[in-house]
Amino acid sequence: MRLITHNMLQCHVKGCNANNFPLELQEVVLEQEEAEMNEDFLRNMLNKIEYEALVATCLKLDINDLPATMPADAAYNDEFLQILHRVILETHIKSGKMVCPNCQHNYVIRDGIPNMLLAEHEV
Amino acid sequence: MSTKNPLHIPSPFQADLPDMTPEEKEQQYVHSVYQAIAPHFSATRYKPWPVVEEFLKTMPAGYVGADVGCGNGKYIGVNDKLFMVGSDRSSNLISICGERGHEAMVCDGLALPYRPQFFDFAISIAVIHHFISPERRVAAIEEILRIVRVGGRVLIFVWALEQTGKRDFDKETQDVFVPWALTKKPAAGSSGGEKQKKKKEPKANSRPQGVKKKDRKNNNSAEEEQTTTAVVQDEVKKGKIKEEGEEDGSVVTESLSKLTIQGGHTDSNSSNDKDDSNTDNNLLQDQSSTADSFSSSSSAPTATAHTTEQPTSEDISAAAPVVEAPVYNRYYHLFHKGELEDLVLRTNKASIVQQGYDRDNWWCILEKTHHE
Repeated sequence: MRLITHNMLQCHVKGCNANNFPLELQEVVLEQEEAEMNEDFLRNMLNKIEYEALVATCLKLDINDLPATMPADAAYNDEFLQILHRVILETHIKSGKMVCPNCQHNYVIRDGIPNMLLAEHEV
Repeated sequence: MSTKNPLHIPSPFQADLPDMTPEEKEQQYVHSVYQAIAPHFSATRYKPWPVVEEFLKTMPAGYVGADVGCGNGKYIGVNDKLFMVGSDRSSNLISICGERGHEAMVCDGLALPYRPQFFDFAISIAVIHHFISPERRVAAIEEILRIVRVGGRVLIFVWALEQTGKRDFDKETQDVFVPWALTKKPAAGSSGGEKQKKKKEPKANSRPQGVKKKDRKNNNSAEEEQTTTAVVQDEVKKGKIKEEGEEDGSVVTESLSKLTIQGGHTDSNSSNDKDDSNTDNNLLQDQSSTADSFSSSSSAPTATAHTTEQPTSEDISAAAPVVEAPVYNRYYHLFHKGELEDLVLRTNKASIVQQGYDRDNWWCILEKTHHE
C-alpha cells in the first residue's frame, strides 16, 4: 500500500463518523520502490490530499522531506512535486496496522495489502 | 468457511435460498465461492471488455479511480496514466491483484473505507449482481457514488437476464445459482481449491501502474505481456484454462451442465463447442483422475463432488461417462432491461450518461449529480 492510499482511507465502522481520519500507522515496515513520475496525477492530487494529515503521518514514520505547508506554487514547483512523488507514490507500507483515532479499530496490513473488512456488527 | 448442505445442481436454477440473513447468503454463495475458485477464476479473467477499456482509456491523464470488486485487477493497468485502487471482498483474488503490483485492498462493497468524494471516477464490473436484495444493490451503488466527486463518472456492468449467448436462462427467474466447476486438481490435494498457489497465475494484462524502473531495465513489459498472453492462449487451447466468454465461467462448466441436467439444454451452436470438444474429453478425464481427492474433501466450501449421468448430447458423446468435479454455486441476480438504470435513479444522486448491452451484460455510465 502506497502512502497516497493511506491518505484516502478513513475508519468506516458503523457510527464512527468523527475523528476517524487519518488512521494511525503502527508497527510499520516501509519499502521504497521507484515508479514513473506522473505529473498530471500529482497535480490532480494537490486538492485531494489532506496535506496536514500526510505531513503528520510522514513525520511519525521519520519521513521529513515534505514542507509543513504546501507551497503556493505547488502545481508547478518541480522540486516539491518530486518530493511528493517519492513520498506518496514510491513509499510502500509492506506491513503494520492502522488504528482509528476515534474507535481504536485495527486494520492490519500484510504483504502490502490492508484488510479493511469489518465484522458484521460493525457495518 | 466450510458449509453444510451444499447445493447439488450444477446449473442455473432458481435461487431458493434457505432461511439465512442476506449477509449469510452472500457469505456462502458469493464470498466463499470466490475464495475457493480464486486462482482458477483469475486464470479466465485477462481480456478487458471493450466498453470498460474504452471508458478507462478516455479518462483524462492523472485521474484517480476506484475499481470496486476488482477481482484479480485486470482493469487496473489498462491505462497507466491513471491511478487506480482496487478492492474486493475476496482476499485470495486481492492477493493476485497485489502481486501484480496494483494498489489493492480487501473490503466490502457496502462499506468502502475511502473518504467521500475522493475519486474522479469508479468502475464496478460484474459485482452488483452478487448482492442479494434490491435494497443492497441500491446501497452498493450509493456507496460507490459516495466516494466519487460530483461530476465524476461510474461505469457499472451487471449480468443480463436476456442473454442469449452460452447460457440460456429462464426468463422468469432472475435470482439464480450459477455453477463454477474446478477443472484442475488443487495443488494442496484434498484441502480444497483455496490452497492453490497463486504462483501459477498467468500475468497477462497485468502491467502495474507506476511500473518499477528496475523491472523495465530487465525486460520489456509489453513483450512480457505478449508472451504470457500466448502462454495463456496456449493453455486455453490445451484445455488447461478456459477462456473467458461472458462474466461467468468456463466452457467446462457448460459441458458439465449439459451432462448433468436431465434433458438439459444444449447450445451446440456455441462457437466454443467444436474447438473444445476434444479438450473437454481430456478435461473430463483429468477430472476423473482427481475425483478422489475432491470427493474426499470435506472442507471445500459450497462445493460438491458431482457424479454425472451418461452424456446425452452428441458433441460430448465421446467423453468419459462418469465424472466428478467440485462445483461451486454462485448467487446471481440477473438484471432485466432497464433495471440497472432504475436502481441508479433511485439513489437520486446520479444521472445516466450512457447505457448499453455487451457480452451478455447490461452496462451504464452514470454521472454523479448530488452528494448527500
